[in-house]
Amino acid sequence: MSTGYASRHFEFGKARVHVMSGGEGEPMLFLHPAAGAGYWMPFHEMLAESFTVISPDHPGFGDSDALEWIDGMDDLVYFYLDLLERLDIERTHLLGASLGGWLAVELALHQPSLARSLVLVDPIGLDIPEHPIEDIFAMNPDELRAALFHDPDVARRFIPEEPDFEALMRAFKEKSAFARLAWNPFCCNPKLPLRTHRIAAPTLILWGRHDRLVPPAHGERYRDLIANSRLEFIEDSGHAPLLEQPRLTVDAIGKFVSETASGTPATGG
Amino acid sequence: MKFYMFHLMPYPHLSEDFEERESAWVTYPNSNYDPTVGTYLYNRYLDELEYAEPLGFDGICVNEHHQNAYGTMPSPNLMAATLCRNTERVDIAIVGNGLPLRDHPLRVAEEVAMLDVISGGRIISGFVRGIGDEYFSMSLNPTHSRERFNEAHDLIVKAWTTPGPFRWSGKHYRHNYVNVWPRPLQQPHPHVWIPAFGSTETMTWAAAHHYTYLSVFAPSKLLKKWFDGFRAGANEAGYEASKDQIGILLPIFVGESDRSAHAEGREHVLWLYHKGLKHKFEHLFPPGYMTEESWGRFLRSGLGSYTALSYEELISQGYAVVGSAESVRERLEELADELGFGLVNALLHMGAMSHEVTKQNMEIFAAEVMPYFQADDEPSSLEKPQTAAP
Repeated sequence: MSTGYASRHFEFGKARVHVMSGGEGEPMLFLHPAAGAGYWMPFHEMLAESFTVISPDHPGFGDSDALEWIDGMDDLVYFYLDLLERLDIERTHLLGASLGGWLAVELALHQPSLARSLVLVDPIGLDIPEHPIEDIFAMNPDELRAALFHDPDVARRFIPEEPDFEALMRAFKEKSAFARLAWNPFCCNPKLPLRTHRIAAPTLILWGRHDRLVPPAHGERYRDLIANSRLEFIEDSGHAPLLEQPRLTVDAIGKFVSETASGTPATGG
Repeated sequence: MKFYMFHLMPYPHLSEDFEERESAWVTYPNSNYDPTVGTYLYNRYLDELEYAEPLGFDGICVNEHHQNAYGTMPSPNLMAATLCRNTERVDIAIVGNGLPLRDHPLRVAEEVAMLDVISGGRIISGFVRGIGDEYFSMSLNPTHSRERFNEAHDLIVKAWTTPGPFRWSGKHYRHNYVNVWPRPLQQPHPHVWIPAFGSTETMTWAAAHHYTYLSVFAPSKLLKKWFDGFRAGANEAGYEASKDQIGILLPIFVGESDRSAHAEGREHVLWLYHKGLKHKFEHLFPPGYMTEESWGRFLRSGLGSYTALSYEELISQGYAVVGSAESVRERLEELADELGFGLVNALLHMGAMSHEVTKQNMEIFAAEVMPYFQADDEPSSLEKPQTAAP
């Protein structure tokens, strides 16, 4: 069944923040990675078969305007605490990929009652000096394709070889918004390991088997830091399993939620 | 017209694998730097700058760049310090201190004030944001670049001009005691030069502050737009910018004849644009370093990388001036008429030019080009800082 989705904008001062939502069932808040926001993707559609998927574009990404005061991850967390009040969400399944995974961890430890379950897909956020994340800000498009994707054809679909002007402008906007959050400390909050004990929600950590951007050691560290967690790998995928293997990834998420989370997900069509 | 001798102090001895390297910046390994050679080069380069004084230049320029082979002055203030002691007359222009790159702008306020006092009031204080690569080299968030520049500038100027101690509560800098010793000799403070790459924000800002606006390497067609933008900024601020408030950075090589100048100068010009200025695109343009508007304008401008330009294009588009003294005079006059600058920062050393060739280049330029322009002094819109009588 095709669920479709609704698009809404919320005013934050002069800025407009874009939120997509669709599907039926318990709420699942999706927190997107550092690129490609603003589109309802096949994985959204698959998730929407079992959940009410709420998918905001972070300020400065996708169709959301930037907010001048968001200058670091803690600002983004406080923005989300406000947005969740506006969305009337007190408790939700939390799903975050890459940058969004880091954000999901931060939200879960700021407000432990928020997460019914936590799913992290190749999250950044940790500083592991012996397994560094490559400097994504310095990568050219060829290097990005190789770092982010396992399948070169999929890579070319998401990072085209001849982007148009609009695509270049959008990439600049999203990279700038990302840099505000993750330039230095680079892609991490060094204090995260001191705080992750606050996370009580059952947690699934998914890792693309061929993630060449964020080494799997980061997944293992998250598994060790979060008490009620397990780590699984998604085959034939790089850093972005939701894009490269949406069916496998969404199935793993659905299975985890139905096995471990308190509620029973609505049956999809 | 005023003439300043500009030096980048490059490290010209690049490795054989340089062609395969992505850049002369950020990632070009410092194992390629031989400090023994460096001892010779620094001392030689400083001699060349000092030699500008007896040749009649108005001043000499040093600048700041980090972790690269293009220019080996991570601390321009150190270079200015030694030049202060070995010169007596010339202005010493620091173009400039990379303000956002410092966590403590008061160090800039202090060091420049020290230099001004030591030199007897000969310091020109340039301020820059640092180029994109330096936000990688110094791990500084490029999205903070402009706001840190503006705040550091405001703090430094206030530290020079307002009796301390006072308190500063900014976004990036917070101080309970701003009380800079020494104060600068020039009052209210040394003149400020702003080298810039054509962003509207910077030209308007520099004009509003009555600072001198300097171009960096770009084709003359583009410089015309930048300088016109700066003049428009001055008009908006309620005054006419005089020519000496606008400066051009120009690589110049003067030879015996056009033929010999091009034969000899070609490799030096090409070293500068094809090797020294070989950047990885992503390093040079980090996210958020420019506003979205400036980024859009840059994309539409179709400007490519320096390394894509042939020698002939570099010369014809005004990236460098090469020729006999007569040809250089004519070209400089043509450019000055077209662009309306009254200040030339002459880059008379490039790449692997030897000491002898550099001195010769300076000598011919000083003897056969400068005098032709120095006569025509025009009224100035600059408010000259005063130094108290001793």
